[in-house]
Amino acid sequence: MANLVLEGVTKVFKGKDAAAVHDLDLEIEDGEFIVVVGPSGCGKSTTLRMIAGFETPSKGVIRFGGKIMNNVPPKDRNIAMVFQNYALFPHMTVQKNLSFGPRVRREGKSTIKREIERIVDVLGIGELMDRKPGELSGGERQRVALGRALLRQPDVFLLDEPLSNLDAALRVQMRMEIKRIHEQFPVTMLYVTHDQVEAMTMADRIALMSGGRLQQVDAPERIYDHPANSFVASFIGTPKINFFSGSIVNEGGAAHVRFLGGTYVLDDEYQKGVDLLNGADVSVGVRPENIRIVRAGGGRLPTIGCTVELVEPLGPETHVLVRSGEDLFICKVPARSKLSIGESVEVEFEPSAMKLFHPESGRCMEAEGSDSPIMSVVDA
Amino acid sequence: MSTLETFAQSGDLLDKPEVLTIPPSFRGTRNKIIVSFIHMVLGIVFLLPMVWVVDAAFSAHASGSLTRPSFTLVNFRAAMSLGAGRAIENSLYLAIVSTVVATFVSVLAAYALSRRRVPLKGSFLVATLMLSGLPITLLLIPIYFLYVRLGWLNSPFYTSLALAASSVPFTIWLLKNFFDQVPKELEEAAAIEGAGGVRILWRVVVPLATPGILVASIITFINSWGSFLLPLVLDANPSNTPAAIGIYSNIVANSQVSYGPLAAYAILFSLPVMLLYLLSTRWLHGGFSFAGGVKG
Repeated sequence: MANLVLEGVTKVFKGKDAAAVHDLDLEIEDGEFIVVVGPSGCGKSTTLRMIAGFETPSKGVIRFGGKIMNNVPPKDRNIAMVFQNYALFPHMTVQKNLSFGPRVRREGKSTIKREIERIVDVLGIGELMDRKPGELSGGERQRVALGRALLRQPDVFLLDEPLSNLDAALRVQMRMEIKRIHEQFPVTMLYVTHDQVEAMTMADRIALMSGGRLQQVDAPERIYDHPANSFVASFIGTPKINFFSGSIVNEGGAAHVRFLGGTYVLDDEYQKGVDLLNGADVSVGVRPENIRIVRAGGGRLPTIGCTVELVEPLGPETHVLVRSGEDLFICKVPARSKLSIGESVEVEFEPSAMKLFHPESGRCMEAEGSDSPIMSVVDA
Repeated sequence: MSTLETFAQSGDLLDKPEVLTIPPSFRGTRNKIIVSFIHMVLGIVFLLPMVWVVDAAFSAHASGSLTRPSFTLVNFRAAMSLGAGRAIENSLYLAIVSTVVATFVSVLAAYALSRRRVPLKGSFLVATLMLSGLPITLLLIPIYFLYVRLGWLNSPFYTSLALAASSVPFTIWLLKNFFDQVPKELEEAAAIEGAGGVRILWRVVVPLATPGILVASIITFINSWGSFLLPLVLDANPSNTPAAIGIYSNIVANSQVSYGPLAAYAILFSLPVMLLYLLSTRWLHGGFSFAGGVKG
């Protein structure tokens, strides 16, 4: 068991201009379950491979428990890895696949037997021992791969998109199993995926990457509620957050934000903000669950008239795509709302859930200690 | 009225195009007959010499043409008395030793070329491929002088090394392509388990590339088995003569050709290779797949 530290880790592949991983700083606590998530090509797999030792960082240092690991070969790092493609030895039975590592490491026969029995019990793969990987289903192979990794008793447990080749139902089941395994064997786990649902449900902390750079590292709820930038805000959350163009206006000596959803006075903290110049453009982000379809003139919040473009009933809730002029956005309504395409509706925005983003850099404008930029509402 | 005229009158011509063309099934059959006939002719042309060999070997009055079928083992006894037994033993030695050496060397070289960063790898591989097509006659004299210098003449072992060397370029190329197909993740998984380079090669890569290694070995064996020039030049000791030279020197070199013993010798000479063929079709029948090891 060890903590895992990456300091300024950069990887540039030969012949490429852009770095696959750029100046990555990440500290993972002993026993933590951290999920590295991001779109394809963001550098998450490269980062994992550098931690495993299959790639050497071009710059920077990787430490396990304080010890520098840059030039240590994979076999000496005491890690375990579950590959996206399982990487089970096809010419060996499950029994031999599991005992391969312990035999290489010269563990005693009785120790190997005992350990395998324990893992087999935990993962429920007892009946598969005499079969070869070719005779197993995807889920069974994944469990055997997990078993082989657990037998390693590693300091760091690496998982490279282990569920991406499984069907949806199996994925949900295996997600819970992996979490359960982590509770039983609290080893430092680094889990790489492109699926934000896996990240949100499994992680102690999420490390979100894009374009080789770390965008934000935080607990799932904090990443959801306090995204560092517009990329993070739109990557995490289904359906995606809605963005509206808005601008900062000075009225009555106070800074306001004005956008499709109305005009709102900004919180005191923001009044002092250097960024907030009169007339400056901002991007306003509002999540679908914070946009409600209401009766006209019902509440104290301003409403805008929209037309229903698309209705997606999902069972527990319904997603509605609405249009107001040029703007198309999604809101969530209760499951059994009866809405039809083309219907005119009134829509209101929840002020406390709005986020302001810089229109060019995408940085979220959030003041220290402040939950929301919006203080109060002004009638449009 | 003919069918054609009926249709022309009714204006149905365009509706029933199949009446005007040869049905596909009939056209296919005609082609199949032609192809089968050509196959038969070629088959007879190639099989006829083999039929003659068998006939001559078992016939008491063997000659250059087919005789009345008869059965006698006289020719085999004659061939054995001319040293066929000893010669085949020598051939076996040369073929087996050269195969073992060539396979061992090629596996290591091919694995390194497949997995490791080797300077000028591309040029090396192209050179290997081109060298595999090099006729041995070009190298005979240089190898002979080298062997003179090294004192390696008249030794079956060193002769088999030369035979191995002549096969290695091709087998390296062949094996490198087989190794390329073994998924790298399997080796990475083995490395994570603590396995070092040799163990990974021996326990993971070689078992999965076994069909390729078998193919390479069989090709080397057959090449060495039938090799004439290298053993002729490098080993003058009559007791070391392999069967390929034995057939030539004992029977054909005489002014009169003894067809019977010649044919019998040829059959004895072919037996190990035929056995190898039968065994290899059994071994390679399963093909190879990484089923279940790696997805996709």
